Amino acid sequence: MITTDNLTKQYGETIVLNQLNLNIGANEIYCLLGANGAGKTTTINLLLGFIKPTSGSAFINGLCVSEEYIKTKQYLAYIPENLMLYPTLTAVENLKYFSGIGGKNLSKSQSEDFLNEAGLQKNAFNSRISTFSKGMRQKVGISIALAKDAKSLLLDEPTSGLDPKSSNEFGQLLHKLKDNGVSILMATHDLFRAKDTGTHIGIMKNGQLRQEYATKDISLPELEQAYLEAMNYKEFVS
Amino acid sequence: MIRNTFIKEITELARDGRVKIAFFIVLVLLGISTWISSRQYNSTNQQYAEAKNAERSIWNNQGEKNPHSAAHYGTYAFKPKYPLSLIDQGVDKYAGTSIFLEAHNRNEAQFSQAADQTGLARFGDLTPDFILLFIIPLLIVLLGYNAFTKEREMRTLVLIKSQGIAPWKLVLGKWTALFLPILVIMALVIVGAGIILSNLEDFGVFRWSNLGILFLVYICYYIVFVNLVLIVSSKSKKSSISLVLSLAIWIIACFVAPKAASNFAETKHPYPTRQEFAANILKDKQEGLDGHDPWNKQAKLLEQEVLREYNVDSLHQLPFNFDAYRMQKGEEHNAEVYFKHYKYLKSQFEGQTKVYVGLATLSPFLPTRFLSMGVANTDYSTHWDFSDAAEDYRIRMQAFLNNDFAKNSSHGDWSYKAEEATWKKLPAFEYSPPQLAEILSRNSSNIIVLVAWLLGSFSFLFITIKLR
Repeated sequence: MITTDNLTKQYGETIVLNQLNLNIGANEIYCLLGANGAGKTTTINLLLGFIKPTSGSAFINGLCVSEEYIKTKQYLAYIPENLMLYPTLTAVENLKYFSGIGGKNLSKSQSEDFLNEAGLQKNAFNSRISTFSKGMRQKVGISIALAKDAKSLLLDEPTSGLDPKSSNEFGQLLHKLKDNGVSILMATHDLFRAKDTGTHIGIMKNGQLRQEYATKDISLPELEQAYLEAMNYKEFVS
Repeated sequence: MIRNTFIKEITELARDGRVKIAFFIVLVLLGISTWISSRQYNSTNQQYAEAKNAERSIWNNQGEKNPHSAAHYGTYAFKPKYPLSLIDQGVDKYAGTSIFLEAHNRNEAQFSQAADQTGLARFGDLTPDFILLFIIPLLIVLLGYNAFTKEREMRTLVLIKSQGIAPWKLVLGKWTALFLPILVIMALVIVGAGIILSNLEDFGVFRWSNLGILFLVYICYYIVFVNLVLIVSSKSKKSSISLVLSLAIWIIACFVAPKAASNFAETKHPYPTRQEFAANILKDKQEGLDGHDPWNKQAKLLEQEVLREYNVDSLHQLPFNFDAYRMQKGEEHNAEVYFKHYKYLKSQFEGQTKVYVGLATLSPFLPTRFLSMGVANTDYSTHWDFSDAAEDYRIRMQAFLNNDFAKNSSHGDWSYKAEEATWKKLPAFEYSPPQLAEILSRNSSNIIVLVAWLLGSFSFLFITIKLR
């Protein structure tokens, strides 16, 4: 479960996140839409505890992130926009390392199972990451998240740079995780992916959550219209 | 978690071509320097054994002779090369290897290795201690400067942090991975040196315990460097900055601090010049009893005192040769003069040593250097010890010769010749260097400073590390 309670972040006079209230339960994928600088990544960094809130609180599985920095990580997996791994290590070695420091020591066959589940082709399992495309790296990142078996998943524009096939596979994987009871928060620019994957959608602007929808209640054109209105792109609003 | 980080770091190091080359170079340099040192050790000790036997033979076979002529003829005290000089040659190169022992004068050690070399010797020699003290810390810098900065630059730190590893566990994993290769190199050096020393001649004074202590000293030194490099890396934003800062620490610790300490110590506790030293000794000698001059004021006083003591009117009535007796008293006076002036030199040396220890708070190099030389019996303290032992032997030798002269001749009888067998009765000069316990006690302040560096750097590394 991912929760924020009046979560606010301010740098000097600039408010980058203003009293955000989210409540993402199990079996939910919440997609945060917004332009650059809307506060999406700040929200994720606050949920990870990488930065401290000016006021309000973030909770993972009911634990306050500021107070239980290490413990909340047990219930949390994270895939950044541009996942970077160790170039001289293989996919299996990277997975084993990150899972190991997360508290789960995997055997080689277990590692290969997770990589397979994440959609990485078998002949790449023992290749060095330096030879991987961005999409392949993202799949290793997904396998790290899968291996962690976390109850909450934070994704910061995970499909950015992925080809449509990989992006679709990624969406399917998220659905699978959701069905297994995982709470997912995904920051994205991709309206189509948000509509296709999410159960809920929030539109952010200038650090504020402007609109919230249940995906089943809104069509893609309506979502696009709502997004453009929220962004105040008057010239595009029909 | 610690194990995972350790395995990851070691795998990365093993796959880095630069690391392989650096390791190869260090191991080759260590091998070459150890081989050169063992050759030098063998050659010097062979020369030592030959010279010692030849000199004793010359002394024993000098024929019938007046004891005072034998005293002027003199003999040599030779300083052997100690086994651990194979690893740390210390000041041996500059300190001289033999002392000429003669009547009336305390001579300095001479025939130093440096005196036989050209000005090119200023470039220094390739010795194991050079590799151990200078090159391995540089290797630590090269291996560890980007331990944390690379995680920031590659943006892997974000994923690490999201996995929930406690910072101290990450540090310990990285620390172990950086330290292990150094431990392996040092273990190879120590085991290699031990095997070589166990198979060399004159193995009698070699002790594995000394080698073990040397190993511990260097390990402490490297741990401090590992800690410093990791502290810098954890606090730097970029690898380039971390590399420059780590190299600056290496330069300051290994080059600047020792030279600055040397200059500062010399300024604060200066040695007299050789001329001043000689002039002061001569002045004090002249103010006292001159054993060779019967008309000297002190000699006349001694004469009256002895006549009174033996209740006789003439020196000829004494049961011994007063000339020899006077010479012995002159020797005793000279010995006191030398003792006084060398005591002053030693006090200056001790003052300088205190300055070094004080400045060792600026550099872990200084206590390590002193401990290494001490344990290897190649420091100035051991040289002083040898010099004092030689002087003690010279005093006993003069007493032996003067007593023989006094006992077996009468006043004015300079034609007396001791028989050849007399010389063999003088025991040969033997010197044993200080034992390990004494060396450690003498270097207790260096041990304290090195341990303080160790604990301080560990505490700073683990207390201040933050991944957030």
